[in-house]
Amino acid sequence: MRKQVPYSVPDGYFDSLNTRLSSIPQQRARVNFLPYLAMAASFLILLAVGNFILQRTASSYQADDSEIIEYLIESGTTLAQVENIMDY
Amino acid sequence: MQNKESVFNGLVRQYSERLYWHVRGIVGSHEDADDILQDVFIKAWNSLDSFRGDSDAFTWLWRIATNESISHMRKARVRAALTFSRLEEEAARVCDPNPYFDGDAAMRSLRKAIIALPDKQRAVFTMRYWEDLSYEQISEITGTSVGALKASYHFAYEKVKQFLTDTD
Repeated sequence: MRKQVPYSVPDGYFDSLNTRLSSIPQQRARVNFLPYLAMAASFLILLAVGNFILQRTASSYQADDSEIIEYLIESGTTLAQVENIMDY
Repeated sequence: MQNKESVFNGLVRQYSERLYWHVRGIVGSHEDADDILQDVFIKAWNSLDSFRGDSDAFTWLWRIATNESISHMRKARVRAALTFSRLEEEAARVCDPNPYFDGDAAMRSLRKAIIALPDKQRAVFTMRYWEDLSYEQISEITGTSVGALKASYHFAYEKVKQFLTDTD
């Protein structure tokens, strides 16, 4: 089998090859922000979805004063303290 | 003390053309060889800090290039399998018709025979047959023993000869 390599290359290929390869350090020096943007976007989406779910599932019930007083008494708050709290 | 960029540019100047022919010998296609060569030097740049000497720059670069080329060929096989095409069709895509293929019919057959070899065997064949590397050099590049390389090359050579005989 003869050993002549049967390939050719486009005209001027090797002239431009070194220039292209030598620009690799500059290309790699540019910080790629895309992964960080993607992470930030994912975090914001997660936050928004979580907040939406929380808002939908949280109780909208508003206790009235008597229920608040009853709760405070049952949890050991004295009458004087309750009066102070309710004055605010 | 040379900085990283000047070391890298020195490697590009010294080895880029020869490395191109090494990759081209394994993958066949100019476009693929060009893409792989870019990847090789990107990897070289990224790992240059762990390499700081001229003594085995050749082995280091050839190892990266050989692994990248073999990886490329494996992906081509997967692609061929997924599209139900045969690797011989891939060989035909590389060899004919192709504006960057200079050979006559005999050389075209030789290229097809080499493309049909298993990936690593093709790399060994390329380094031994086209590049005239010693078995010791190929052993350093591939991490395979000299004895195993000699056997691999012998089988590859016989397969290629048989392929050429069958297609005559």
